[in-house]
Amino acid sequence: MRKLIIHIATVLLALTGPVTLLSGQAKGTFEVTHISKISGSSDDMAPVIMNDGILFCSNRKSNPFLTKKNLEGVRLYDLYYAPFNEEGKPVSASRFAPGLVKDANIGPVSLSADGNTLYFTRNLSDGSRQGRRQPNKLGIFTAKRSGSQWSEITPFEFNNPEYNLSYPFVSADGNYLFFCSDMPGGMGRYDIYMCENLDGTWSEPVSLGPEINSSAAEIHPFLHSSGRLYFASDRPGGKGGLDIWSSSLAFGSWTKPLNLEEPINSPSDDFAFYAAQGGMQGFFASNRRNFNDDIYSFASTIIRWSSCDTLQKNSYCYEFIEENALKQDTLRSGSRWEWNFGDGTRAVGITAEHCYAGPGIYDVSLDIVNLITGGIEKRQASYELEITDIEQPVIAAPDTVRAGETLVLNAGATYLPGMKIDRYYWNFGDETVATGLEVSKVYALPGRYNIQLIVSSAPDAGGVVREVCVCRDIEVSVNGN
Amino acid sequence: MRVTRLILSMFIMILAAAHARVNAQEVPGPDENIPFLMTFGKEGGVTSWGDDDFSQTFFFALPKDYKDPFYIRVYDPEIGGKTDELNNFWNTRMMYSIYGGKGCYTHPEANGINPRGNYKSGTLLATRTFGMDNKLDERWFTFGPFNPADGEYYPKFQSNIFKIICDGIAGDDGNMYRYALSRRPDTNVPIDGANAFTYEYTFRMWNNNDTSFVSHIYPFIDSGCVWIQTRNFDWDNDGDFTVVSVSRKNHPLKLSGDDVWIESQMPIMEEEIGKSLDFRFYKKRGELVKNNNVVVSVQNQYGENLPFFSAPIGGVPVYKPRIKVIPKK
Repeated sequence: MRKLIIHIATVLLALTGPVTLLSGQAKGTFEVTHISKISGSSDDMAPVIMNDGILFCSNRKSNPFLTKKNLEGVRLYDLYYAPFNEEGKPVSASRFAPGLVKDANIGPVSLSADGNTLYFTRNLSDGSRQGRRQPNKLGIFTAKRSGSQWSEITPFEFNNPEYNLSYPFVSADGNYLFFCSDMPGGMGRYDIYMCENLDGTWSEPVSLGPEINSSAAEIHPFLHSSGRLYFASDRPGGKGGLDIWSSSLAFGSWTKPLNLEEPINSPSDDFAFYAAQGGMQGFFASNRRNFNDDIYSFASTIIRWSSCDTLQKNSYCYEFIEENALKQDTLRSGSRWEWNFGDGTRAVGITAEHCYAGPGIYDVSLDIVNLITGGIEKRQASYELEITDIEQPVIAAPDTVRAGETLVLNAGATYLPGMKIDRYYWNFGDETVATGLEVSKVYALPGRYNIQLIVSSAPDAGGVVREVCVCRDIEVSVNGN
Repeated sequence: MRVTRLILSMFIMILAAAHARVNAQEVPGPDENIPFLMTFGKEGGVTSWGDDDFSQTFFFALPKDYKDPFYIRVYDPEIGGKTDELNNFWNTRMMYSIYGGKGCYTHPEANGINPRGNYKSGTLLATRTFGMDNKLDERWFTFGPFNPADGEYYPKFQSNIFKIICDGIAGDDGNMYRYALSRRPDTNVPIDGANAFTYEYTFRMWNNNDTSFVSHIYPFIDSGCVWIQTRNFDWDNDGDFTVVSVSRKNHPLKLSGDDVWIESQMPIMEEEIGKSLDFRFYKKRGELVKNNNVVVSVQNQYGENLPFFSAPIGGVPVYKPRIKVIPKK
């Protein structure tokens, strides 16, 4: 709790990442890496991908001779930008747009889709020291890009010196602005609000309601392009401290927030989750190391294959033909052909069709009945029919499910002889993933989703891992219809 | 009859016959399940008894390497007694003639289906005429000994060929009989690799109304055969006639009525070339057609007569079903 208060008191950057609505999800769906190149003894948080790097907040010392602190002696946060190196990792952080602030906290930030408008949190009073009894609340501001400079700093019209407004996040289409506030009338210490852009003017803030907000604190909203809202909260049910949660807007209501699995969440504070477009990688902040807020990257260990074999349906149906008889004028034949399919069923005819119940070895035989004498010549021909399943991973699931309902997917019927299966990876086609033999999934929105199942073997003696992938579509219908 | 067309295939046949059953020289053969050969006396020219021409010709083929004397034996050669068919009173005389030498087989009129022209070609080696003779009723009469070299050596067959003709020269009774080619005069001892064949088979059906009594005759299908035409006479609609081969199961053909011929055509499949067909004759169930005497011949698309071998060339053809399994999507 103390840590949360610190976050709120300063400037909190919250990113949330690609959350799967899964039960049965195994650990290790994501790999988390500490970004040591830009994380030191200071607190670093709220990474946002901008161009070819990340923009984040830090209270590090930017000047060896000057430490910026507030009246309580707490170091102030500034914005920093760290470009990606050749490996795609942020390095060499430097101050970003120092003209945006003088003696105040700044951050977290959010960038418009075109990159020309910066939404940022900052103390309402910048540079003019106020007395200890006059707290300098947080507010939201915007700045416009002008070449390499940022100018036209404009305060958000709903800023108020009586309470804090912070953690702005503007949707990709620019129509919605999410932020957090401890304004009166909220449900908890900090709630998430949203304003709608009405012809260039922001509407009155609206609370996201009890589905999202709780008596605890909800901060760092991040609306991913997939439609999922990620935020951090210290509400009960998490793994400790701040955790990252996700919810989707379905039919006008937010679904029940789900807690991200480890290793993204941990017993420490985990927050500020920011995912890239595909949802399979991004950044977040955590104080899991040495109680400092550091920036971590995450990447899904489950890669969506660009081309995946479509799941083939096993067919146990066959056509049986007596080839020699086909050459004859069977309509006038003095004989009758009787098939014994080896599973207790029989049929009559030169050709016959039969569907077996499943794989197996069947002794198919053919009797020929002499229609003149009535005599039966047994087993005039036989055929050992071995039926095996198609060698493929198998996604067992219904073809359709309603939005909001739990869909159970099972890979137990996978048939890959000779392959020692180590893991089952699921990619649900909505930028969510899971691992496990059986997983469950809730789709918030209707539509057709292409699900991939990737089966991976344990490394062989040469260290080679074999992977096989299949996919199939699941139709998610409108809930209640 | 175009003998030349059959030369090559006959050569193969003879070789194949060497592997046939050792008692192959019995006529009818054991695989044929035919009780008797049959020839009626020609008096009155009445064919409604089942004999269209009152004559039957058979050929015996002996391997060229066989040098020992041999005998041709006739079972129940006389006319009268238990097995023969009485017409009012016994008045029939039956003449058996055995020919060898040049032309006994290759003469164009020797190997037809009608006793016309010089069908008795070759050198007459022996002949005897039988009437009613109780001493030979249901007993064997032996012709010979014969020297294999007295046959017509046919190089392409690598065989010496002899011909035996049974003519009903007088009377109108039916003669039921059998032949055997033997090493010995007093018992039937087969000659390895020998065979017997005819181009028109005249025989007696079993006196039984059980369909399990099936008689067989085995025409050989030579190369170049596209389709065949079977002819049968005076079957009295007694049952069913079907064809079995290595690739055909009970293909039905027509059976004739009383004192008439009937013809059926049947295409030949590639797998049947160079093998024997199995002509099956099933007796009619129920009402018994008694003493049914019948005649059968078969021609190819050129009108060439095809031989019936007492020991089927290549063995009795066995239909072999072939199963193909196709997965369905």
